[in-house]
Amino acid sequence: MDLPSALQRLSAYRARSTRASQDIFDKGLVVLNSKSASKLGDDSWEFLEQLALAAIDVGRIDIADQCLQQLIDKFPGSPRVDCLEGIRIEATESPEMALKFYEELLDADPVNAAFWKRKISVLRRMGKIERAVEALVEYLDTFYTDVEAWAELADIYSSCNQYTSAMQSLSHVLLLSPQNPFYVLLFAETAYTSGDVPLALKMFLNTIDMADTDEDSLPPTGMLIRAWYGVKLCTRRLLKDTRLSSKSASHTPVPGSLSLIDSLAKERLDAAYQDAQDGPCAKLVPSWLVQV
Amino acid sequence: MSSNAVSLYLDPQIRDWVLFPITLVMILVGILRHYVVILLQSQPKKLSRAAIREQRALVRAQILRATSAKSPIPPTYYKSISQHLSKAFNDGTYLKDGPPEGDAPSKPPNPLTDPAAMDGMMSGMKTQMVMMVPQMIIMGWINFFFQGFVLIKLPFPLTLGFKSMLQRGIETPDMDVRWVSSLSWYFLNFFGLNGLYRLILGGENAADASRDMASPFAAASAAPQAPGQAQDYNKLFKTERDNLEFAEGLYSWVGNDVEDRVLRRYGKLP
Repeated sequence: MDLPSALQRLSAYRARSTRASQDIFDKGLVVLNSKSASKLGDDSWEFLEQLALAAIDVGRIDIADQCLQQLIDKFPGSPRVDCLEGIRIEATESPEMALKFYEELLDADPVNAAFWKRKISVLRRMGKIERAVEALVEYLDTFYTDVEAWAELADIYSSCNQYTSAMQSLSHVLLLSPQNPFYVLLFAETAYTSGDVPLALKMFLNTIDMADTDEDSLPPTGMLIRAWYGVKLCTRRLLKDTRLSSKSASHTPVPGSLSLIDSLAKERLDAAYQDAQDGPCAKLVPSWLVQV
Repeated sequence: MSSNAVSLYLDPQIRDWVLFPITLVMILVGILRHYVVILLQSQPKKLSRAAIREQRALVRAQILRATSAKSPIPPTYYKSISQHLSKAFNDGTYLKDGPPEGDAPSKPPNPLTDPAAMDGMMSGMKTQMVMMVPQMIIMGWINFFFQGFVLIKLPFPLTLGFKSMLQRGIETPDMDVRWVSSLSWYFLNFFGLNGLYRLILGGENAADASRDMASPFAAASAAPQAPGQAQDYNKLFKTERDNLEFAEGLYSWVGNDVEDRVLRRYGKLP
């Protein structure tokens, strides 16, 4: 492994913030041992941060400490280095200690989003869900525009079966990132799980409307298959049990063309599996589709 | 032209002891000024969490409104968020200092009593001082020692209009415009060294005095503007409530007729 190509790869990882820890670690070690990090100029500090994170990820704490020490010497009191130090503490020490570390940092600087996020992740890992939710809500009250944090909150609520709250969080996610069909799908699945089938159906259809490309003739792939499965599940339940439509917590009307949608979903799912001649799906899916 | 080609002969000592020193001193003062400004610049003050919350509260409503005509979220969720925001704006929940008591007319805070605004103004003044004082000293120095000196002859002819620019401090009606006086050389340097500073110190340097000098009041008033502009968030929030109501009137869920769109797309509906 020669130096220039290693450096190039590392900077590409940095630009995309890829988490390829083993690769970063191997290549970073080459750079670190060749003592050429100082030649990188200002990039060398970012390189050290990257290598430290990767080293923690692969469990080579000694290398991480080496990088961290250099960073601490260069930037004493920098919040970014503090955060890295916190991650280093999380790696080996007890979560209580990491929590204490972050709380001290937050006392000194309550507007640092990175500290908040680390603290919340530690809380969730410790199983202190209520405190994690409390902290997350407090964090989002200040930093409303953090999509990932809203999604995390929805995830926590879902893990506690609080689907209504989860959907409320997800609606903020949708507002903040209306162009992402994955979040719509997530909302649809949460709605389905919560029992609001008409709303789920609408949301699954929304996902399809957003995610489908213009090549409608091609069989659906990826998340589209998932969305069509969702549509099929919803229409089947709605057709079987008409009372379900009145049980929508969000008072979503059921579309009148239910049977048309149902047959379209069946058609699309059939198309998705038409190439699977053998394998378990070839038989299971058609038989599931004709079930009533 | 040929008759007055050798009308003046400048002592080389003038070049060595006046022309070069003035230029050098101006460059060095510019560089010094750059570093002094960096030293004087106070860290941008950290906002408290409540202040950030206040600043960003409007963003919530704006985000909600931005998509309201084709909102991605169902009506019940939209309404609950919209009403919650509207109520919070009305009660002043997001205000930095908590909800206002009673209905006392809120007046914009006086920038002179607000320590944060005061800091901003002081830093602007300091930068101004760092620029003014050395330039005044240099100008005094040139006026005192080198008044009436002719320093250099430009290698190209100029029209008479440049006479007042190039021969300041020498009141002769007949001298060729190409001769430059000491005071004019100072001004030429003053306005012309920016390119050199950019070369030495990089693009974002504070060495160039002429930029501030060109509009001394603009610099003085612009500096405290950012921290000093006391926005009355309470008033902004009240306005935003109206906007929210308008947006609620425009609201329609993108899922309203989504089944027809999907069916039409696959040719199931005409």
